Amino acid sequence: MAEKPRIRIPKQAAKNEVVEIKTLIAHLMESGQRKDPSGRIVPRKIINRFACSFNGKPVFECELEPAIAANPYLQFSARVEESGVFSFSWTDDDGSVITAEEKITVV
Amino acid sequence: MILAASMAGGISMQTRAQNARQAPLAIDGPASPVPWVRYAGWPTRDTSKFNSLTRLVSPAPPKAPLKLEKGLTGDPAAGQKLAADRSRGGSCLACHVMGPAGGADLPGNVGPDLSEIGNAGRDEEWLFNYVNDARVYNSDTVMPPWGTHGIFSESEIGDIVAFLKTLKSPAKFKAALDDPMKRPAPIEQRDNLDALINPAMWLIEERAPALWKATGPAGASCASCHSNPVQAFRTWAAAMPRWEPRLNKVLGVEEFVARHAKATTGQSWLMQSEENTALSTYLRYLANGAPMVVDVAGPEAKGAYQRGEALSTRKIGALNFSCADCHGADKSASKWIRGQWLGELRGQLDHFPTWRTSQQSVWDIRKRFQWCQVAIWADDLPPDAPEYGDLELYLAAQNTGQKLSVPGIRH
Amino acid sequence: MRFISRRDAVRLIGGTVLAGSGAAERSWATPAQDSAEIGRFTDGRTGEPGKIALDVPEIAENGNSVTLSFDIDHPMTPERHVTDVLIVAENNPSPRVATFRFTPMSGRATAATRIRLAGTQAVTVMAKTSDGKLLMAQRQVKVTVGGCGG
Repeated sequence: MAEKPRIRIPKQAAKNEVVEIKTLIAHLMESGQRKDPSGRIVPRKIINRFACSFNGKPVFECELEPAIAANPYLQFSARVEESGVFSFSWTDDDGSVITAEEKITVV
Repeated sequence: MILAASMAGGISMQTRAQNARQAPLAIDGPASPVPWVRYAGWPTRDTSKFNSLTRLVSPAPPKAPLKLEKGLTGDPAAGQKLAADRSRGGSCLACHVMGPAGGADLPGNVGPDLSEIGNAGRDEEWLFNYVNDARVYNSDTVMPPWGTHGIFSESEIGDIVAFLKTLKSPAKFKAALDDPMKRPAPIEQRDNLDALINPAMWLIEERAPALWKATGPAGASCASCHSNPVQAFRTWAAAMPRWEPRLNKVLGVEEFVARHAKATTGQSWLMQSEENTALSTYLRYLANGAPMVVDVAGPEAKGAYQRGEALSTRKIGALNFSCADCHGADKSASKWIRGQWLGELRGQLDHFPTWRTSQQSVWDIRKRFQWCQVAIWADDLPPDAPEYGDLELYLAAQNTGQKLSVPGIRH
Repeated sequence: MRFISRRDAVRLIGGTVLAGSGAAERSWATPAQDSAEIGRFTDGRTGEPGKIALDVPEIAENGNSVTLSFDIDHPMTPERHVTDVLIVAENNPSPRVATFRFTPMSGRATAATRIRLAGTQAVTVMAKTSDGKLLMAQRQVKVTVGGCGG
């Protein structure tokens, strides 16, 4: 998982505006159903959890299964009550976690 | 030195200036791995006994319809299974609605609806010959010669005929979508240039710019000579492919990248390598919005165009299809093979290279050619085969005026 | 609404429920355990239709990447809000696709993602609310059979 996640979020919002957040992370999402050319099952390896919080408080989380398509795309909303920082995390089956942050200003 | 001819208006002064200095090319050596080995995971059946774009070796059709000495004894249930069996050349449902066969699940309509063929006054001998080798009735047919090419055995054709004789009422579809005559033509609506939608855009945003700046064994990078590719190549790829006299063949973007990178930076970015694909996609992307205009007026280019046109009508493979059979406006274009739409030649090139969702990778047009061949049970050629160059030039000419929008995103 | 196949329902009756596991050494849910998880989510209830706008294509070009989005007509206040949403694809090897956890700070119970479908089937979205309601929506997606066969 070398790639930086992609996040699309407005830089500003009105107080209490509900903004749309789009996220994408490059990941094969190996389902554990596929066979390699020699016929052996390729072991499962997916992003199994995504979490978004704002100024430390949970906004939106998901548990992902192998039926989520490769390069998991997650779009959701958040109500912005004050300026601050959105934190995002993606957790791999192997326990590693990729994180990202985006600032937003209430105008 | 080749200038793109004015097929639909002039070309930019920039392209003329670029072409005025010949781009260095590595002339010796191949632009793709030798020997060419088919991609891992692709079908491996031996199709050497059938026509390819380089050989004419398919068995000849019978000179006249075969006479059946005795009546056919076939099993209609076995015939119904064969009609739906995708591993036997896509099989009948790829092109025909056939009553209940395959659960009437997304049959195609390249060929006529056979749901009432059992009442159409066709005798067993006629049905047998049509399946065995329809060329005895129609030399121009698209129907594969299932018997002559050994895809179905004589007794299997008997089973299919027995099944056809049971078809006496119109097909019942579970959903409107299943009826190919009612299925709406697919319109590609995804924003192919949005990196959140099209993974191929990551090549544009990250991989290609990194490769552009990478210093090769010769001590140079692309950037050493081309410091501003966004400006410099705003229309370049729209004039490709083109005849290259130093190689005596048509050169597409991918082969150009391989030979030009080798000659200047020393990099060995063979066709179908991830570096080559990234840069080829990038060079076409830089010309997005430019209308495709290729030179087919020069004497060599004209010859290549004519060869390409001839190759597009050559029937190849065990299934005995030509490009024109599926993509010709007067043949099967705008019809369905199973659930897949067949596009006309025009509109087939402006989005290549494309992200393929079914493959989860970026394919250039040469790889698309190779797959088409393998899918119809014909030998594929190496990606830099001169025949592919001729075909690509012919295809590009059919796409004159189409504006590039690369990378595409498709099934 | 059908979200558990007959074979899995049989196993469910005699099977055990897999508790959520945070351990590094996970064993992935079997189809029976998957069905058990779905059963836990719904508690045997049938969700109330009409409040979830579910958008999936009628026909998908292949099963690799099918866009799914939903929007739930429900307040998202601290007092009343959608809490969990489960997506199920009944004919997939493991029917559970994802579980979304919303909070009042989500602002709106809406999300979009791209899913894998192992063939033509119904896709079901079920939502639980903070006051104990279960909502649902279901759409049929036809996954295209390709022409050439390979």
